[in-house]
Amino acid sequence: MQPGEVQLWGRQIAAVLRLEMKKTFLSKRGWWIYCLAAGPVVVTLLHWLVMMRPRSGFNHHLGDDSIIFAGLFQLFYLRATIFFGCMGIFSNLFRGEMLEKTLHYYFLTPMRRELLVIGKYLAGLSVALVLFVGSTAAAFLTLARHFGAAWSDYLYHGPGMSQLGSYMLVAALGCVGYGAVFLMCGLFFRNPMIPAAVVFVWENLNPFLPALLKKISVIFYLRSLCPVEVPVPPPFSVMVIDADPTPAWLAVPGLLVLALILLAYTAMSARQTEINYGE
Amino acid sequence: MTETLISFANVSRFYGEVLGINNVNLTIPPGITSLVGPNGSGKTTLMNLMTGLIRPTQGEIKVLGIAPEHPEQLCKVVGYCAQFDSCPKGLTGYQFIYWFLRMHGLTAAECDRKTNAALERVSMTAAAGRPVGAYSKGMRQRVKLAQAIAHDPQVLVLDEPLNGLDPMARAETIALFREWGQNGRHVIVSSHILHEVDQISDQVILLSQGYVVAEGEIKGVRDEVKEQPMQILVRCNDPGGLAARLFQQDHMVEAKISRDRKGLLLRTTDADSFYLLLNKVILETGLEVESIAPADDDVNSVYQYLIGGEGGTV
Amino acid sequence: MAVYKKTYRPYEGKLTPGWSRFLVIPRYAFTEFHGKRFLSLFFFASFIYPLICALIIYVQHNASALNLLGVQGQGARGLISINVTFFMNLLGWQSVLALFLASFVGPGQVSPDLANNALTLYLARPFSRVEYVLGKMSVLAILMSLMTWIPGLLCFALQGYLEGWQWMKDNARLASGMFFGAWLWILMLALLALALSAWVKWKPAAGGLMFGVFFVGSAFGAVINAVQRTTWGNIFNIGHLVGVVWVQLFEGSNRTTNGAVFFRATAGEELPLWTCWMALAALSLICLYMLARKIRGAEVVR
Repeated sequence: MQPGEVQLWGRQIAAVLRLEMKKTFLSKRGWWIYCLAAGPVVVTLLHWLVMMRPRSGFNHHLGDDSIIFAGLFQLFYLRATIFFGCMGIFSNLFRGEMLEKTLHYYFLTPMRRELLVIGKYLAGLSVALVLFVGSTAAAFLTLARHFGAAWSDYLYHGPGMSQLGSYMLVAALGCVGYGAVFLMCGLFFRNPMIPAAVVFVWENLNPFLPALLKKISVIFYLRSLCPVEVPVPPPFSVMVIDADPTPAWLAVPGLLVLALILLAYTAMSARQTEINYGE
Repeated sequence: MTETLISFANVSRFYGEVLGINNVNLTIPPGITSLVGPNGSGKTTLMNLMTGLIRPTQGEIKVLGIAPEHPEQLCKVVGYCAQFDSCPKGLTGYQFIYWFLRMHGLTAAECDRKTNAALERVSMTAAAGRPVGAYSKGMRQRVKLAQAIAHDPQVLVLDEPLNGLDPMARAETIALFREWGQNGRHVIVSSHILHEVDQISDQVILLSQGYVVAEGEIKGVRDEVKEQPMQILVRCNDPGGLAARLFQQDHMVEAKISRDRKGLLLRTTDADSFYLLLNKVILETGLEVESIAPADDDVNSVYQYLIGGEGGTV
Repeated sequence: MAVYKKTYRPYEGKLTPGWSRFLVIPRYAFTEFHGKRFLSLFFFASFIYPLICALIIYVQHNASALNLLGVQGQGARGLISINVTFFMNLLGWQSVLALFLASFVGPGQVSPDLANNALTLYLARPFSRVEYVLGKMSVLAILMSLMTWIPGLLCFALQGYLEGWQWMKDNARLASGMFFGAWLWILMLALLALALSAWVKWKPAAGGLMFGVFFVGSAFGAVINAVQRTTWGNIFNIGHLVGVVWVQLFEGSNRTTNGAVFFRATAGEELPLWTCWMALAALSLICLYMLARKIRGAEVVR
């Protein structure tokens, strides 16, 4: 590695990142991602506004809202928002370029293909983190805001901040993990929806899989890190197979290593990728 | 020496069972080289191979001593204007060139300077602020060309670069190619417009059905096509008399006198002998010759002889 | 100025009727469909459930088959009741399969035409945008009809034949419910598939979006219900909306069921019927608007 080469790589990655932001994410074309992230925030905001109307009292407790957010996060954020959002963002990074017949412009720059992969991944990840982690935090902070002082107490002197931190960490890890998976799918498969569908089914069947198979999924580790457990409702609860949750010190590095491995494989494969825009 | 050449050594490329190019051995020197051939002959495949967008099934390619497997070195010296009529959506003409220049690792100021220079070179400065999606075909072609030349490459590869250009733009673009060729750069152009290829090319590579049929300077290629008699047009005061003398020679095949009775189009299998004989006739008879010129010493004729009107190899 | 003998003559022969020109599209679509083995297998496999239903109906009325099963008299009626639940479940099951088919076939209708600038070729002929959309919709409508109301009505006819004319008269509502309920679902799916296919221009993304609209929509509706402690979140659940309408079509005001399988609404959590119709109408209008925006001969970029 020559001196100055690292700085060159940094400039090139930054150029890819900024171009992606300008082309896709800061444009009208990315509107649906914002809707996906904003949806739960709008709902919790409405909940707060409705609850703030003068009335005799609330028909629920602070603890109820905590459980509801746990359900919202695990069943909607993880399985829908982050999953489909990352699928849309990351699988489009390469496959979209091939569809629009513009990938060859990137391949004709004096940039290592590995750096191109990293640059595109970082572009997608930065948007996903801002949107989905931000949305998670905003939804958490507004959901029980109508409880006033009780909520502030819960947040600053109770488990609130730690729960918020856990949810934000899980959302971020979800973006990292699913991002790496879908970036790879977008590069390897003409139709990345098929592997995405397989991953979707596999992830949703996770509670019902044997303990060993459970560990071969992103969502198992993410759920281990969630602060509040959400039980599977009946009648499906009888089919759930319990497994020991993975400790945080293992789950977090494990997911990061998994993402790194997938990225490294994608980057190495990008060197062999040819331009072929045929159907 | 080899670092000024583009070389193909035994290169083949198959798309499954479909042949792209087969057993190509070429060296391309600096100057303007035209790739000529019917549709599906392998021109784009050759260009994609030398720019690293696809890899050969077998063989070795070197562009100025650099293998296409190292795009981080190759793309510094190569600029490619591909055939795809597509540009990244959501970008203006300026942004399209600027941001891909930034991927070269250049500073913002340098990229800005080069972008503006490239846009000016193709007369697209006024429209640079508009989205590329709003451009006409000719404008898109020009901005693609600007993107290919912005980083000042040593090798410029252009796949049908004159498509969609109006006559003024064509003339300007051809002037650009000439300038670059005269500067000692490699300009590799594929085109179907044979008279333009004739005008600008230093050498030509004829392709047909994945094979290189001929390569070299146009005159040299024509000389090698010995199966086809040379056509020569002579303007003189006594074409009939000249024709009568010429028909005494075995190498004469055909002679046609033009309508105005001042021109003679002849076909001969031995041009050198004809020229010697012509000198003799002039000295003996005092024939007044206005002009002598080969009539089929051009790409169009060579194309017809070697590749044929049906697109196959003759 | 040169004068040439006018030898050109326009075609003056017979033309096909104008109303039938849009059928050119499904003709070639079906040719392409037959070439896809997976889709063909899936399509034929979707007839398994109606065949089982027909078999059940036959067994119910076949004395020797009942003897074989050891079931006699009134016990036979209780084996599986051929009632509104039976036909609604048939429709529900087939409709879910129709959703899968629409997700596989629908995106391939408009996306490739837009991606490859083929709309210019279509619309440069005496062929309107409406005919184009009708043609594309008819592909899905024909396939989904073959999967839903046609086998459903055949089962109804079989039951009516075996049970008698009086039974058919008394249960005519089942037939009309099957027919109109299926068409409601077919039209919603076809419009949604074409609109998404026109909007994203990428076949796999349009297919993924079809599932996304249903699953993410219903999940989002569940979020609203949980957070707001309400049932109005079901307005985002297309299955719920259609299920409520089906119950009305099949049973009218004499409700005895919660709806078809996969389309059930929890008792007490159904939205009002007028709301369901309005929501479905709004979704249709949105889809039509998306199609009107995207189905154009040339895309104008400013």
